[in-house]
This record gives sequence, C-alpha cells and structure tokens, in this order.
Amino acid sequence: MDAYFYIILAVGLLSTLVCVAAGIMKKAPNDITILSVAAVELALLVYLVGSIVRVIAGEQIAGEAWEFWGYLATALLLPVAAVYWSILERTRWSNFVLAAVGVTALVMAARMNQIWY
Amino acid sequence: MTDTSEHTGKRPADTRNTGPGRLLIAVYAIFAISATARAGYQILTKFSEAPLAYLLSAFAAVVYVVATVSLAKAGRTWFKVSLVAVLVELVGVIIVGALSLFDSVQFPHETVWSAFGRGYAFVPLILPILGLIWLYRRRPAAPAA
Repeated sequence: MDAYFYIILAVGLLSTLVCVAAGIMKKAPNDITILSVAAVELALLVYLVGSIVRVIAGEQIAGEAWEFWGYLATALLLPVAAVYWSILERTRWSNFVLAAVGVTALVMAARMNQIWY
Repeated sequence: MTDTSEHTGKRPADTRNTGPGRLLIAVYAIFAISATARAGYQILTKFSEAPLAYLLSAFAAVVYVVATVSLAKAGRTWFKVSLVAVLVELVGVIIVGALSLFDSVQFPHETVWSAFGRGYAFVPLILPILGLIWLYRRRPAAPAA
C-alpha cells in the first residue's frame, strides 16, 4: 500500500464518518458533507495525476493496466454521481448515500494498489 | 423537492425512490457497476477457467442492474420487477453461498455471491433482506374495490 492509498483511506473514512453523523443527526446534505465528498474526489484526482506522472516516468503497472485505469475512472465518477443523486432529494438519507462514497473509494483504492504492485 | 423525510402521510405516487430507498438504490447501483465490471473482466480474460462461476457472475450483475433500475422507477409493474429481482438475488446468494462452501470444485472461483458475499463484507446477503423490507413498506396499495 502506498501513500495514495493512505490518503484516500484517511479522507474516505473521515468523509464517511462525517456523512453518517450528519445522517444520524437528521440533517439534509449541507456544505460540510458535500465538501467532505469533494475532498474524496480531490484525493482521487491526486491519485490520477500521480499515476499518470509515474507511468510517464517509466514505472510499470504490475497488473492489467486497463483494469487499473478502469477502477480509477469509475472511482472518479462516484463522488459526482453521489452528490448529484443526493441533492435531487435533500433528506437525511442522502447523507447516507454520500457516506457510501468514502468507503467505496477506499475499497477501490485498495484494489488499485493491488493491481499496481 | 421538499425537505421532509416523513412518509407517514398520503402517498401521492407509487414510488420507492425516496428516503431510505435512495440509499438502497445507491448501494444497488454500486453493486451493479462492480458486478458488471467484474463479470465482464472475468468473461473476457479467463472465461474457460471456470465458465459456470463466471456465468453466475454475469447473472448476478444482470440481477443487480435490474434491481437498481426497477427500484428507481415508479408504478406497480416496476414494483413487481423489483420484488422478483430482489427475491432472485436473495435465493441466488443463499444457494451460491451454500454451494461455494460445500462444492468448492464447481465453484472454485470467486463470484459476488460466493461464501454468502464474504468478499463484499456480506453486503450481498444483507442487501436483499433490506430490499424486501423496503419493498414491503412501500408496497402498492390494494386496488380499490
């Protein structure tokens, strides 16, 4: 596991905790929960840029390259889709939808790390 | 969109895509995407290794896609589609889960439903149960006599 994974692990867990807490407190999605999901997206973008730089620098992906990029592309779409889905109906339940992004992102980051090394 | 999460009042439409249903649909969507991607990958790259397991993966993927779409749609017909999809999912995860434990020769390769979905933190086993509870709570009203 590399630094990219640990960044996504930390940001993802924090985002999930914040969103679950907001959901339990019966709050609708607000700036804090949406920004926490945006932070997950940012962490994934850092992973994307870092990975592109590493490939250009000549590093080899141990597993299937297209599988790695497939995971990364899908992970990048998740926060966007979740935010869109959550603001269509602003209830406490939408915060649980947002909460799903963090854990899913960190599971996918773990898989991406496995493919890379 | 209103700000309320109450569903105790009159139901204006026969829908299941509000409140907790939105979370359910979101989780189903995640499983639909991951199961489709996984099955596609398995079938494209190593289908001959375990055709039965990978066909099951594909079947599971279809079930998740149907469940996701039907839960998001309103109306009595989509309710029935959801019910069938969720029931197939529940039966599938139990049968495949049991077979993967007892007959590891036929099911040596991982599918979403292997070992009751252990590889996915048992979410595949919990999801259809929550789905059935949700469908029951949001079942269409009996037709007026």
